[in-house]
This record gives sequence, structure tokens and C-alpha cells, in this order.
Amino acid sequence: MLLTRKASSQVAPQSRISRAATGALAKTMDRRTFLKRSGIGVGAGAVASQLPFSMIDRAEAKEDEGKLEVKRTVCTHCSVGCAIDAVVQNGVWVRQEPVFDSPINLGAHCAKGASVREHGMTHDSHRLKYPMKLDGGKWKRISWDQAYDEISKKMLEIREKSGPDSLFVVGSSKHNNEQSELLCKWVRLWGSNNTDHQARICHSTTVAGVAQTWGYGAMTNSYNDEQNSKSLLFLGSNAAEAHPVSMLHTLHAKENGAKVIVADPRYTRTAAKADKYVRFRSGSDVPLLFGVLHHIFKNGWEDKKYIHDRVYGMDEVKKEVLAKWTPDKVTEATGTPEEDVYYIAKTLAENRPGFIIWAMGQTQHTNANAIVRASNILMLALGNVGRSGGGCNIYRGHDNVQGATDVGPNPDTLPGYYPVAVPGSWVHWARVWNVDLDWLKKRYASEAMMAKPGMTVSRWIDGVTEKNEAIDQDPNLRMIFFWGHAPNSQTRGSEMIEAMKKLDLMVVLDPYPSASAAMFAKVRKDGAYLLPIATQFETEGSATCSNRSLQWREKVIDPLFESRTDHMVMYQLAEKLGFGKEFIGQKGTGAPNIELVKGKGGMEPSMASVLKKEINGGCWTIGYTGQSPERLQAHMRNMHVFDVKTLKAKGGKDAKTGYDLTGDYYGLPWPCYGTDKIKHPGSPNLYDTSKAVMDGGGCFRALFGIEKDGVNLLAEDGSYPKGGEITTGYPQFDHVLLKKLGWWDELTDEEKKEAEGKTWANDISGGIQRVAMKHGCMPFGNAKARAVVWNFPDPIPQHREPLFSPRPDLVAKYPTHDDVKVFWRLPTLFKSVQQQAVKDDMAKKFPLILTSGRLVEYEGGGEETRSNPWLAELQQENFVEINPKTAADRGIKNGDFVWVSTPGRNGDGSNTKLKVKAQVTERVGPDTCFIPFHFSGWWQGEDMLPYYPEGAAPIVRGEAVNTATTYGYDRVTMMQETKTTLCNVAKA
Amino acid sequence: MRTVLAVVLLAVGLAACGEREQVIEPQSEKRYQGKTDSKPWDNESPVAELRGGKWTKGNMTSWEEQIKQRQLSQNEYKRIEQ
Amino acid sequence: MARMKFLCDAERCIECNGCVTACKNENEVPWGVNRRRVVTINDGVVGAEKSISVACMHCSDAPCMAVCPVDCFYRTDDGVVLHDKDLCIGCGYCFYACPFGAPQFPQAGAFGLRGKMDKCTFCAGGPEADRSEAEFKKYGRNRLAEGKLPACAEMCSTKALLGGDGDVIADVYRERVLRRGKGSEVWGWGTAYGPGRPGAQPPQPARKS
Repeated sequence: MLLTRKASSQVAPQSRISRAATGALAKTMDRRTFLKRSGIGVGAGAVASQLPFSMIDRAEAKEDEGKLEVKRTVCTHCSVGCAIDAVVQNGVWVRQEPVFDSPINLGAHCAKGASVREHGMTHDSHRLKYPMKLDGGKWKRISWDQAYDEISKKMLEIREKSGPDSLFVVGSSKHNNEQSELLCKWVRLWGSNNTDHQARICHSTTVAGVAQTWGYGAMTNSYNDEQNSKSLLFLGSNAAEAHPVSMLHTLHAKENGAKVIVADPRYTRTAAKADKYVRFRSGSDVPLLFGVLHHIFKNGWEDKKYIHDRVYGMDEVKKEVLAKWTPDKVTEATGTPEEDVYYIAKTLAENRPGFIIWAMGQTQHTNANAIVRASNILMLALGNVGRSGGGCNIYRGHDNVQGATDVGPNPDTLPGYYPVAVPGSWVHWARVWNVDLDWLKKRYASEAMMAKPGMTVSRWIDGVTEKNEAIDQDPNLRMIFFWGHAPNSQTRGSEMIEAMKKLDLMVVLDPYPSASAAMFAKVRKDGAYLLPIATQFETEGSATCSNRSLQWREKVIDPLFESRTDHMVMYQLAEKLGFGKEFIGQKGTGAPNIELVKGKGGMEPSMASVLKKEINGGCWTIGYTGQSPERLQAHMRNMHVFDVKTLKAKGGKDAKTGYDLTGDYYGLPWPCYGTDKIKHPGSPNLYDTSKAVMDGGGCFRALFGIEKDGVNLLAEDGSYPKGGEITTGYPQFDHVLLKKLGWWDELTDEEKKEAEGKTWANDISGGIQRVAMKHGCMPFGNAKARAVVWNFPDPIPQHREPLFSPRPDLVAKYPTHDDVKVFWRLPTLFKSVQQQAVKDDMAKKFPLILTSGRLVEYEGGGEETRSNPWLAELQQENFVEINPKTAADRGIKNGDFVWVSTPGRNGDGSNTKLKVKAQVTERVGPDTCFIPFHFSGWWQGEDMLPYYPEGAAPIVRGEAVNTATTYGYDRVTMMQETKTTLCNVAKA
Repeated sequence: MRTVLAVVLLAVGLAACGEREQVIEPQSEKRYQGKTDSKPWDNESPVAELRGGKWTKGNMTSWEEQIKQRQLSQNEYKRIEQ
Repeated sequence: MARMKFLCDAERCIECNGCVTACKNENEVPWGVNRRRVVTINDGVVGAEKSISVACMHCSDAPCMAVCPVDCFYRTDDGVVLHDKDLCIGCGYCFYACPFGAPQFPQAGAFGLRGKMDKCTFCAGGPEADRSEAEFKKYGRNRLAEGKLPACAEMCSTKALLGGDGDVIADVYRERVLRRGKGSEVWGWGTAYGPGRPGAQPPQPARKS
């Protein structure tokens, strides 16, 4: 075998940097390079005490001593949801085995999944081990009781003076479903809508844009379904690094003839596996998508019957796309040659069904709500949505961001997307939570505040620092809880640290102190508490993967050190704050709605009971009602019966409970309508009219009315889920419709009592859903998808330049939105920021586009993964990818330290800058630079190690790119514009 | 005649001399004097919790069979077509 | 007789480092020692980037074995190359000899003393009692003795890294190559019989005139 060599690096251990090829020639492999990455590097100082092969006395159990147990759990790192068999001996996690039976990952793991056992190791752990308080600038250890006392006292004091809206709870997408739902409730019982979680800065634009197009804002099919696909367009996804195991399905599809196209400003590792790579300018997604659509319409490749039957408004879109997005305009905006755009169009048209796949590349822009809709329109035009092998495969991020979005702490919705602005939502949830509605109303500052969506996590800093008259609530934010959320994933970090100066109270609840602790301690002497929280391996509960399947995690080990589970802390703090009884749904001396069980550190709500009573009992809108703990657990025990291509169980009976798995889809992907008794199998592919409703089939949701401007919004005759008794379009089911159809009497007497006056979405007996589905009808109606979303700022998706754009000429052609005086309670600027940037000649001072993204070894804010030595060793320093020309122009060599400066501002007015190593590579074009966002622990050149609690700093620290990123928010969801800002790079 | 026979015999006799040894048998293997190592199949099958295989202790073939089965079960083509 | 081998399918390897981490996890290898590494060639070069996971290849005629001055290497019946750390003197000669850089040396001590050589064992442990604490401490996990395959191959995210009996690997890989219609040239058809450039196509059959 011919050995190929890479360019060797003259610098000490770097993985990516030393791999940069200085030219296109491959040279023989340099063994020094191979070894160099294993060298001492930055982190070894922290592990210098580690002798080879753990000669130290491990607390770990010895083999052959004590019984072995296996707990089946799911990796907590991303939304693929790889199952893991954790072998435990005497309460110590000793082995980790792959689960080949899992239909989702078939035993495969990426680096993070393969490393999860480290979470069970206590030796040299960098976790937060006990509660801490910032006192005189130092982190001091305190007891849980003292922590609770002081925190609750302070909270009640501030509440007394400023009202409940002075608190912002940043919740977590890493909470399991039950914890997410409890946290949503917790904040509401406190009396505020000021809560949010990572979905805001991840896929909020997807959920909004996609739901408004056809009903639900989630992945339409599954990773597995890609095996049935003929074409896969990755536009805004680096799946090879962000969802590595999904590539198993993708590459399997590619092997069997599927065409893989990757469109990305960067030549990513995913692009390396593509049949065709298309480069385009970051932020110009709409011109690219509509450029593709232009060719499709021009050549008549659209699926006319499908559009006629199932889509509203495509004619308008067609007219606009043909007129406005001609090849010259597309190339002008994107920088992509026309033949590449045409190639995409032709390939997608000739290879159906096909998917468009996206993640942050599409979602993190100021016009992302339009970008995702352009993707939807493209798939609708091709007739790809609602069939196996085709649709919008939206790759969610964190392991339970889907679940947290569905049932968790959102500022504008209660669990199940019941809007806070609709009084009926509160009636419904007060009932499910067994809480007195009047009492609940009094908890809020006013009924108006109760109906008003809260602030978003992307803007909490403005809630603290903005002028009080300008915000749409009485107090400024004075207290913040970082409950399982890192700070360095939000933009404008330099302004966040200024906000921290003003806070009265910050509480970080996390297994790791996180950069929040370091940032706060850098500018303050007191006012913060750190509470050690157990990981998801130290509790049980369900999590929803990206394909909407729910998986039940068993508890592997007890919480380590002094950590306590999230739900225990919620309950204990609720008791201190005065709503403990309401939190578990106890009225007076009656039985609580939620069972309490004993945990390490006290009593905690039982996860199974939360799932059964609250999630299954209340989330009728999205079909989270059929996934009972018993069914989910049976699935986890019998993964081998599920088919990998279809996710369906052809047969099988659970040995433990006798549950018959036949017909179920793995994880009962939502919507799984009705109670668990009617045994809906889950919906693997959404909107699929080729299947019966009770076999997971469906159609587009009737969410937008029956007609618009004289045009029928319901599906045309002949388009309906297979076997349905109504063969035309129909509106959503409610008691009126049931009575009209003569099906009302099919409800039992009990069901009738509940269903009277209700719709399919708030009938808690589930009777309306049951009867509708009995007749083969979708409870949410049968309607057309909307290509024109008239209630959005841009009904037809428009291209709008990013706020910090490198092209003032295009800013003039495609300006951003007007400023909004009040948007999610805060004044939000668009045009004024963009115009100011043009006026200040930002594009000349900062001529390079700065974009950020993922690395496979780390995840999210990164403190958890950078504290794992097995992962930390692989990426020891943060870096910026620079094109060879750009580097040569600035005299920068591979491996040099450089300063990346941006238009962001520090408190003293200076521009923010980041000190990172330069990686010279052709991955990025001459106009773009890339920095991964997982690092934190350096602040504009300064190592923040002294500000971390002792023994709890991550092994690897580096600049957080978001320290320097800039202002910019999506016009519908307040998503931050992380993917496109400006920078310049200079040698350090 | 005898010369011809002698030449032929010589040619036949020397025919194999130029051939190289086909079987790899590194000399150093014969010189190893470290601790002896037992064979994987000379162990009891592990308990079910360790998610290992099942074979008859001491029986190489049964161990190899289950290893090959395990390998095949990890080939996603087999799992997909099941 | 099973002949244990590794094969990394470069068409599927996405450099996720799952194999690297699986090995560290399963064998509790310390910082600084990496039995398995992923190597990427033409990193960032459009159309040319390829990754491949490399560890000890358990050669039939192992150079490490040939040069070791204390003959601490041996080969098991399935072809796994192992060594006895009690005999190893840490001279590093095997490191020079190995074309893959498989021998690793833990960097203990202030002067970077070389320490005993460590390398991939195909998860077959070493010359200590199978599945014992002593074997784990010195050599890492013995998965073969549990009827399992190496952790790296079992956990590969895209099933690029195949480990186990060579015949089965060949079958699995062959099926993939057939379906793709390409890929074998990376391993040397074109390289062995063609002009010798990596990725070269096999020579075309002579045309009939």
C-alpha cells in the first residue's frame, strides 16, 4: 500500500493544525506528526499525576467481585440517540458496551458517545462536586441547606421589590422530557414566562418556519429513512461532525446509489463525502435555494399534481422566483457559479424522493425563518414531503432539544406548544397540573404578563442592561439561573460579562461550573452560587431524539459527589420558595398528582409519574400521549425486533410485561395520538398519505383556516391518509365536527363528558382523537401546506443581508428588516445596526466573514466534553481556519497565534478580539474564517483558570468565539445570527 | 546418454533451490521467552451482563464461529435485510 | 483458523475519532498514549480529503518483532501481535521499525523517560491471566477472551473500521465495493497493477483494433 504523507507541523501537538496541507500534493506520512498529537500539550499539567495505566488505587470495583448489572441508557451528547449498555458493579460504572440491537445507531458511536463512561469516574473528575458560593472573589464550599436558604431568601427579597419577572431561568435541552416539563411548570408557578433553553439559539427558526408551513416544526422523517432516499442535499449541516452516527445511514444510502450534495461556505468533513460540493457565501441561503427552485420551475420539474392537491400559494412563489432569482442574481448574491446551482436542481429533480438536511447553517441568521421556509418550499415543489425517503430532515442538536422544545421551558408556550397568549392553554394546564387556576394567576405580576411571551435566552443580557422604559415588563432582569446551559453559546459575550456586573444574583445549576462561573468571578466578588447537578446517567427519564422517537434511560449510577438531580433541586427549591405542594400537584391534603420517590439528598418527583400524569396527560397537540413509560421501556428491552429501514416492529412480545410490540414504530415517534390504550404505533414519517392514520400515516395540518382569499386551504379531493373515511380535505376535529359527522355517539359516556365543548387538542379523555382515528382521519385535519405564510414578516421568503455584511452593495439591494420597538419584551434593532455598519465602513475594517460551527470531539459550550480527558486530548487548542491567500496577505503561517478582531464591543468601547492559533487551510474560501464555538476559559487572550472553582476547571480552555460575535436576531424568533458576522485577522 | 540423464537429474534436483519459503515464520517468534499467554477460547463465556459471546470452553471452533457471527451481526446490511 | 485483521474503509471514515476514544475508554490508556489515531490526507482540499483510522496492523511478518533486542513479541494463533511488558526494555527500536507508528511510549517522569512500549493489542490483552486485574492494568481489556471484537471496530460510527476475522471483513468490504462501483483502487488495484499513483484506476483492457 502506498503510504501518503501529510505536511508536518513545526508546532507542538495540534490535531487539525498539523494536518493542514500546504498544497495539494500528498506527501508521505510523518510518524512524528502521528505521535506529536499524543504529546504533553496544554492539558497534561492537569493530568501529570496520572501514571500509566492507572497504577493508582482506583475506586473502581475489581472484576469478579460483586454482581454485575446492565443499565440501558442513551448517550447524552446529540440528538441521534445512540443506545449504550452501561455495566455497573457495586454501584460503579465499570464497562460500556455498544448496543447492536438499536435500530437507530446499530452499536455505532462517535468519540463523544464512546467516552461517556468517564462521567462515572470519580478520580480526577473536573465536575462541580459540592455547592459553592462566590465570596470575596473566591469560590467557597457551602452545604446544600445553606445554599437553599441564601438563594431562596435573596429570590424572595427581589421578588418582593421587583416582581416575579425579574427572574430569568435559562433552562436546558439536556434535561430529559420529565425534567423539562417540570421546569416549565416551575417557572410558571414562580409566576413568570421569562424562561427559555438552547432551542432558541438552535432551531427556533426551524420550529416556527416549518410549523407555519405545514403543521409541526420537527424533522419530517428519520435518520434511518435516508436509506430509502435517492438524493440528499446537505445545506447548512456538517453531519459528519455534528451527527456522526447519522452518516452511517447517509453513507449506506450513498453506497446504494443516493446522490449526496453538500452546500456549505466551508469544505467540511461532510463535504468530503459528497458527490458534489457547492460553495456559497455564508448568509446567502435564500438566493441559493431559490436559484435551485428557479431551474426547477423553468424546466417544469415541479410535481404539479402534488402541488395542486396539497400546497397553497406555490403559484405566487413560482412567479416571484422566476422573475427575481435569475442565475445572474443568484451568482451575484451567493458567489456560486450557475452550473453548480443547475447541477443541484437537476440532481434533485431526477433523484426523488430526496431530503434536504439542515442544522445551524440555515437557522442561525436574521432571516432564518425565511431560509427554512425556502427549504420547505423546495421540497414541496419536488413533491418530496410526506413520503418515505423524502422531506426535510432537520437535524436537532442536543440529546433532548426536541423534547425540551416540545414539553419544556419556552417563553411563549406551555408544554405541548399551548400558547401562553391563549387563556384556554392555562385552563388546560392548570387542570393537568392539578393547580388552582386563580392561585396561578395571582403568582404573575398581572394577567397581562401571564399572557405575554417572555424574553428569550438570546437577549437576556439586554433584559438586564436595557433602559427600563424600553422593555415591555416592569422590572429589569435582576436574577438569572443558568440551569444546564452554557453562556458561551450565546452571542455578544463581551456584553454578557457587562450584564453580569449588574446582576443581583446568578445561580448556576450544572454538573460543571461552566464558563458562567469563570465569567462572573472575573468581574464580581459575590452574588453567585454554583449547585452541582447530576448528569443524565444519574437519573432515569425519557428523551426525544431528532426523529421524534422517545427513548427511556435507566439510571446507571447514583449521583456522584454531592450532586442532586435537577428535579430534586426543583422540588426542594420550590418548597423553600413556597410552591412545593403546587409543584407536585397537591391541593390541600389531597394526594399529589406526582409521586415522590427517595433519591440521593432527599425526595424527588418520580420521572415515570411525570411522564404518565403530566406529559401523557396533557400534551394532546403533538401526540405525546401514547408514549407511556411501560410502552417505552418495552421498546428499550426489545430493540432487536425493529426494522432498521422502516423502524417498524414486525412482531415480538416483551418477555417482562407481555406487551405486544407488533406494529409499533421504534420509540413511538410523536405524534402518537390518543391514550396508550388505543396503541397508536407512532409516526415515523410525518404527513405520509400512503399510510393509514393508525399506522403512522398523516397529512398536512389544518392550522391556518379553511380558505384564504377565496382559495381552498384544505387538501383537494382525493388527497387523504390511506383508508380514511373522509376522502376530501377537512378541518381539525372538535366536538362540533364529530356531531356533524354523526360520530359523537361513538364516544363513551366518560369521554363525552370531557369532550363536550372541546377540540382534539384539549380533550383530556382522548376520545375525540380516538374516534377520529377510528374512521381513519387525522385529528388535526387534512389541509394544504402553505408556501406563502401570510402572517410572517416576509410571506414569501426574502433574502436579506446579514446585519454585518461584507457587501454594502448587496445591503442596499436586500436590506434587513426595520427596527422593532418591542419584540419578545425588548427593543430589537435591525436596520439601524446594518446601516450603522455600512456607515462605519465595517466591511473594510473587517473584510472577512466570521462563521462558527462544530467539532466532533466537543459539544455545545464544551465544558463537559473538555473536562473529559479522552476527548480533551484530541483538540487541545482553539483555532481559526484561514484560507492560504488570506493568511499569506497577512503574513500568517500555519500554527501562529493570531488576533481575530470583530465589530463586537467591550465595556470600555474597544473592539473584541480573540487569541487563537491559525490553521491555514483551503477548507474556507479567501473571504471566510471559521472558529469552532466549543471553547471557553480564555478571555481575549487571558486564561481564566484562576476564576474557576479549584479542581473544577475544564482540562482544555480556549477563546470562546461568542465573546466576539455581534448583534443580530431573527425577525420571528429572536434567534441569534451566529453564522455570519465580520472579522479581521492579524498576527499576534 | 548418461550425461543427458545426469543433466536432467541435476536440473530436476536443483529445481526447488531458488524457491522462497512461502510460509511466514519469523525467527524471533521462536525466540520469545516471555510469559505464556492463554488462548481466548480457553476461558468460560462471560456472564450475560458483559454482552459477550457464548462458546464451549476449550473449543476453538465454537469460539471462532461466534466471533464470526458477531462480526456479521455488526454489518448493517445484514441487520437491515433481516 | 481465524486470522484477525483490521480494515478501515476510507469511503466511510469521517474522522469522528470514535475508534480513538473507544480504545481509550476500554483500555484506560493514559493521556499521551494513543494506540489508535485517525489520519487525514489532503485535509481541506476539495474533492481529495480522505481519512483512515490507523493502529497496529498486526503484521504477519512484524518488523517490531524482528528487531526487538529482547524478543518480547509473540503472535497468537489468530495472528494478533502482542508483547510482554515485563521483558520490554523501552529501547524504542520497534518504534523505528514500525511503518505505522503503532508503538507508543507513556511519558512518565520529568525527563520524558520512554517507559514500557504500549500498543494496540487487538483488545486481546497480553501474557497475563485472561480477564484478570493484572492483565487489565498492564495491557488493557481482553475482549477476545470475552468473545467480543476490538472496541474500536465495534463502536465505529459509520462502520468504516472493520475488525475481526479477515475472511468476514473481506466479504463485508467486497459487498460495499460492489455497490459503490469503486473504492478498491485505494487499496491498491490501480496502485499495484497501474501506474502506481494513489487513487489510480485499474488499467483498461486492451481495445480490439
